[in-house]
Amino acid sequence: MKWFTQLNRWLVAATTIVLMSVLVFLYTKTLHRGEADYFENVALLRHLKQLDAQWELDVLKSKIGINTHYDPLANSLTEMSRLLDDLEVDFQTQTHDEAAALVQGSAQLRQVIQEKSTLIERFKSNNAVLRNSLVFLPTAAEDVGQSMGAADPNLPAASRQVLGSINKLLLASMLFSQTASDERGAEIQAGMRQLESERPSLSPEQREKVDVFSAHVRTILREQKGVNELLSRIAAVPTAERIDTVNNALSAEQQRVSVQGQKYRSYLLAFSAVLIVLFLYMAVRLVRSHTVINRVNRQLQSANEHLEQRVQARTLELRQAQSELMTTARQAGMAEIATNVLHNVGNVLNSVNVSAGVVTSRMRASKVQGLTRATDLMNEHKEDLGVFLTTDAKGKMLPGYLIQLAEVLVAEQQGVIDELGALSKSVDHIKEIIATQQAYAGTSSVTEPVQIQALVEDALRMNVGSLTRHQVAVEKTYAPVPELLLDKARILQILVNLISNAKQAMDSVVDREHRLMLNVDVTQERNLRVRVADNGVGIAPENLTRVFAHGFTTRQGGHGFGLHSAVVAAREMGGSLVAESAGLGAGATFTLELPLPESR
Amino acid sequence: MRVYPVSWITSVARQRVSMLMRLLMTAACLAVEPVSAALLDEPIQPIPLTLKQDPARVEIGRLLFRDPRLSSDGRISCASCHDIGKGGGDGRDHSIGLNGKLTDVNAPTVFNAALNFKQFWNGRADSLEDQVDHVLQSPVEMGSKWDEIIQKISKDPKYKAAFSTSYKDGVTKANIQNAIATFERTLITPNSRFDKYLRGDEKAISAVEKAGYARFKQYGCVACHQGVNVGGNMFQKFGIMGDYFEKRGNPTQADLGRFLVTKIESDKHVFKVPSLRNVALTAPYFHDASAKTLEEAVDVMFRYQLGRVASKEDKESIVRFLHTLTGELEGRP
Repeated sequence: MKWFTQLNRWLVAATTIVLMSVLVFLYTKTLHRGEADYFENVALLRHLKQLDAQWELDVLKSKIGINTHYDPLANSLTEMSRLLDDLEVDFQTQTHDEAAALVQGSAQLRQVIQEKSTLIERFKSNNAVLRNSLVFLPTAAEDVGQSMGAADPNLPAASRQVLGSINKLLLASMLFSQTASDERGAEIQAGMRQLESERPSLSPEQREKVDVFSAHVRTILREQKGVNELLSRIAAVPTAERIDTVNNALSAEQQRVSVQGQKYRSYLLAFSAVLIVLFLYMAVRLVRSHTVINRVNRQLQSANEHLEQRVQARTLELRQAQSELMTTARQAGMAEIATNVLHNVGNVLNSVNVSAGVVTSRMRASKVQGLTRATDLMNEHKEDLGVFLTTDAKGKMLPGYLIQLAEVLVAEQQGVIDELGALSKSVDHIKEIIATQQAYAGTSSVTEPVQIQALVEDALRMNVGSLTRHQVAVEKTYAPVPELLLDKARILQILVNLISNAKQAMDSVVDREHRLMLNVDVTQERNLRVRVADNGVGIAPENLTRVFAHGFTTRQGGHGFGLHSAVVAAREMGGSLVAESAGLGAGATFTLELPLPESR
Repeated sequence: MRVYPVSWITSVARQRVSMLMRLLMTAACLAVEPVSAALLDEPIQPIPLTLKQDPARVEIGRLLFRDPRLSSDGRISCASCHDIGKGGGDGRDHSIGLNGKLTDVNAPTVFNAALNFKQFWNGRADSLEDQVDHVLQSPVEMGSKWDEIIQKISKDPKYKAAFSTSYKDGVTKANIQNAIATFERTLITPNSRFDKYLRGDEKAISAVEKAGYARFKQYGCVACHQGVNVGGNMFQKFGIMGDYFEKRGNPTQADLGRFLVTKIESDKHVFKVPSLRNVALTAPYFHDASAKTLEEAVDVMFRYQLGRVASKEDKESIVRFLHTLTGELEGRP
């Protein structure tokens, strides 16, 4: 499942990357590459066209004399060459679909500009000369007039005629400079011929002036034609057409790029539509899954609430069960106590039984029969009792017998009394045990100020019968311990148990003296410590803890309950009970430790 | 990317606006002209105070200009024939080139060459850069080859460092040309007395000089010698009103002028109209150095170019006017 999720993730990432790349690809395709360049070039061409028009305008201005100098004509060319250089650099360095056409177009443009500039150069030269002559011609005519004395009223007819010719020529030249028609040209030619024919009549000085005048007229005739021709040729140079050609090539290229861009834009649009559909699908999916999540969430929530109720119910049940359990436990504890009590009672009843048996056997072997026989003998001889007592052989022995009998009976009575005393003590113990059980059944723990040594002595006393029967030597070591607040019944129960156990552990030991050691002191941890040690059969190491388990016993007819109840009681009081033994046959020591209550 | 069309539109709009402005301004100028203008509307225009150039490139050009390593025999520099101290020429009729060879024509001044529309007497170079190329390779002048020059220049650590800081591609033919041309573009001579007059200082020239200028215009000299450079913006046939070369004799190849460049019959004896700026300093005159003094030159001009005669006084006053065209180089007279 994990590899599947991994794969899924990779798949999603790959799809995203692919979609993004397609988007970016389409986007870059829609961008007009070289659009800026195109507009720059178009602007450049436009500027070029403007300059070209300006150039022609300047030519015309120079022609009619508005331009006083020719710098604009030279500068226009410089500027145009610079623009053309820029354009060519662009065509050669930038990527162009129609690079060849563009380069060719710009080369042609350069060529026509060159052509035009050549024409304009010639125009400048010719125009300068023409204008100079035109400006000078009236002065030259005036010079001629002055040299001939035009102001003189007595001017010879020949001179007058020459002056007339000069004036005619001047007028014709001026008109010719306005409209250079062939008619006027012919008129001027005729005038010149006329002047030529009149020339011999003039003085050398006058002739020189006339020559200057006619030279300038010729110049005008020649240059005006030249200038006019140049002007029409300049106007005919197809610079604008060439610029348009380049412009058209650029536009066509741009058009194609634009169409292509349009195409890719429509692709982009379609792709966007697909993306939007995809997006909508995703959104629907999302909404749907959101609904599902919501539903599941609600279900979960209700389940959760239900669960809580169930938990509460269960908790309640559990609490009930626990309280039942506790009751049961208490009852079980009580049963345990009862068992314990019965056990102890059983122990004591044993003593009672023994005592009763002893009394019975004593009574059965009683010498009271001898007294009866003595009284019967006396009854037979009641009339001659004295005789009998003195004479008869039997009677003579009777008083002595009675005396002896009396002694025996007294001894017998004393034994029975003793035995009955022990019996009643045992019955007292039983009473006490039952009282203990009743105390436990009532309140869980009843503490009262107790002298621990007294408690130990009580326990010993309860067992004294069997201890003496089994010839157990008791050694007691009591450290001084103050009177403490303790649960007397429980401690007594524990001690009785321990002592009883110790005694029983020594029952089967025959090879050595039976010794029971009781030790009371306070440990360094401020614990009250009571140790009960014996030199009996001992405990195997594996059994050292098991001895406290319920039902564990090594004795024939044992319940396995005594030590268990003892250790439970010790724990209930916050203390501990542990067994120590060096092994089988090495005796055992049971140590009861109880925390000392805080000193009051 | 999207910004460009917009900026283009604005630039077009700006262009239109500026065109409109220009038209309006021209109209305004036309209207104001007759009254008075700070700049007199004359056929001659003052030289701009500076043609802003890259100073580092200028310095390289200045060194190269004086560097004889540019010539094949290591003896001739640009400055050999264009002495900055001698009006930008050498004062000789024909300059002494490689191995004592004489040049075909008189060396034109380097001053204000930047303002000429073409270079050389016959206008065979369209730019100063181009002119450098012609001179360096001319067997009569410097007789060098470009790879030799580049090698020599590259060896000089001073040049190498200067070039690599000023030019992206270091020492190249184009960059050497550009450096020299850039330096030459600083060799303009503004602030001549006449320019000051043109700028509105009435007292900059004397009454006689003003009268000379009036003659200059009246006689038609100004038909060709006009514009910022008082010439240098057109070609003209030498001897338009009379055959100068027949009168002079000894026709040479160089006399063919522009014909040598264009091979057009009508371009025979056509030369670039030389600038009259600093003309008082640049004797001898004409491509063939035939006129040793200004007076002689003016005389020839009257006869063969204007086709008329002028009084001695008028010629003298024109010469007086021509002296006012001497300007300042880098702030010094």
